[in-house]
Amino acid sequence: MRDEETVIRVSALVRHNMTLLLREPGPLISRLVMPLGFALLMRPLYVAAHGESSGNIQVVTGGLVVFSLLALSIVGNAVFSERVWRTWNRLRASSARPLEILVGKSVPVFGALVCQQVLVLLFGVTLLGMPVAEPVLLCTAVLCWSLALLGLGAALGVVARSLEQMSATYDIGGILLSGLAGAVVPLSMMPEWVRPLAPFSPGHWALQAFNGALTGDAAATVGACGVLLVVAAAGTAVVCARLLGGEGRAARL
Amino acid sequence: MTGGVRRPPTRRPGGFRPRRPTVWEKVLLTAAGLVKRYGEVRALDGFDLHVEAGEITGLIGHNGAGKTTFVEVVTRLVKPDAGELTIYGTDALRGPRSAQKLIGACPQEIALYPTATVRDNLQLFGALTGLRRSVRQEAIRQLAAELMLENVLDRPVALISGGQQRRTQVASAMIGNPPLLLLDEPTAGADPQTRAALLRSVRARAEAGAAVIYTTHYLPELTDLVATLAVIRRGRVVARGEQSSLLSGLPSTVRLRFGAAGPAQLPPEMAGRAVREQDEWRLTSMDPPADLAALVVAGCSPTFVDVDRPDLDNLFETLGALPAGAGAGAGAEDQAEEKAVPASTGPSATPRKAALSSRPDTSTARTARAEAREANDAG
Repeated sequence: MRDEETVIRVSALVRHNMTLLLREPGPLISRLVMPLGFALLMRPLYVAAHGESSGNIQVVTGGLVVFSLLALSIVGNAVFSERVWRTWNRLRASSARPLEILVGKSVPVFGALVCQQVLVLLFGVTLLGMPVAEPVLLCTAVLCWSLALLGLGAALGVVARSLEQMSATYDIGGILLSGLAGAVVPLSMMPEWVRPLAPFSPGHWALQAFNGALTGDAAATVGACGVLLVVAAAGTAVVCARLLGGEGRAARL
Repeated sequence: MTGGVRRPPTRRPGGFRPRRPTVWEKVLLTAAGLVKRYGEVRALDGFDLHVEAGEITGLIGHNGAGKTTFVEVVTRLVKPDAGELTIYGTDALRGPRSAQKLIGACPQEIALYPTATVRDNLQLFGALTGLRRSVRQEAIRQLAAELMLENVLDRPVALISGGQQRRTQVASAMIGNPPLLLLDEPTAGADPQTRAALLRSVRARAEAGAAVIYTTHYLPELTDLVATLAVIRRGRVVARGEQSSLLSGLPSTVRLRFGAAGPAQLPPEMAGRAVREQDEWRLTSMDPPADLAALVVAGCSPTFVDVDRPDLDNLFETLGALPAGAGAGAGAEDQAEEKAVPASTGPSATPRKAALSSRPDTSTARTARAEAREANDAG
């Protein structure tokens, strides 16, 4: 009976959070469409700088990382809205276990993040002729990067004190991490002092993972995926500490 | 009694079926010595409460008395520093989380998903109690009819009125007929129609055997619900029992007028309880008929008599309200002072003592409620 009730609760939470996501589709649509426009507009520049094959890879993976970092706001909003609506305590007061609540909240946004990346990669492969040397590793990279984004976005969502603060953090943080990662301008073309800072951006490891899978460098992809999973775990730890540790009206969420 | 309670009711995914409780299940909630501190402030300070199946218990007290903290402890949002809490004989503080499905909680503030429809909200909260989809749909249909939500079921919560949001929130707590309902000011800001619908619904749940803990600042609601009362002050229950029993411990005010040749003084035994205001005397009396008889015997026959019986506002003022200027954090001193007040040191001591000594008499709560309703209907 317990298993059956768990299934009922988790499936209802997933369905409900999917409904919430689709009721406000604007941010989701913009994060899906913008990377495609970015790739189309910037492709001539990248191809001129790096050649046909390398330029296509750079414009697709760079755009993917930039806009998936900006899509952190979708994750953060999904968490933050529970604070604004005061519904988090109602979930906590229910018979749903904390893990069930977290799974129910995570699955829809995780799905949205994966969709965004798959769409951009499919666009690159089908329309730009981007080569894929290791499809399985590419899928692994997509999943690991999505998990890292989920952890990061949710962590910021539980730490932010207001919607305005959260939006500013996502916008500035997204651009900063993208820039440091070399997603907008390749690292090789950036000032010398920026390069040692690149590993501090999760986007750098995402680029390593995607580029490795596309060019056949399995070791680079596996190593980068490991780092991304550590980022995901750290974000999840912050989320658990903040979401599950609060008390009543004094709780931050 | 509570020691005899052994097991919680089974609640299948099909939903909890309200039924008449057996003797050993009668005490549904027992809180003993709950303590919760926030720094120097003791939100709960030795909170004791027993609530029986089928009983509506009104928690009354000033802002910050500890009502909402108690509700948060029961719903496991707050972990108490000390004390015990059992629900259906299960340790509700350390027992399995699944016991939470026996509780339907309605928080003070609206806490619904505004972009989702009323139906979506009810679906979610129904599913969280483990109800199957088909059972949920039937429950939603029934609740919508009961709480006048049928026309707005498929509208987003953000687009319905405040009263409809209130009813949706209560419906989300009632879905699945949980045996324990915690309603924290469920009618705050509600219009009379919403208020009437909600009270009707609460009464129906209690008649079906659910225990209801109801906090409110709108005391007439508790009279309408024929609720037993728990008066909370400084984080503890200072009086508990049926309304009639608690009110019987409070004095009436008797207004008296005499003819032109009225007495300059009332009989000596009334001297400390009477105040003259122009041509009228106000007498504080625990037994108005006896005092009136004593007046006649003393040769002071009044030409006008009006007896103001104590009501819940008086009870709240006497027991629940804080002294003017008192803060919410000075519990120990106030309680020590309260305990130290001798029963015979002034007019206010007598009712306080009487009410404090009232014993919970909740075993007859349902009977009393039924009788009162019959009396109201007959009236």
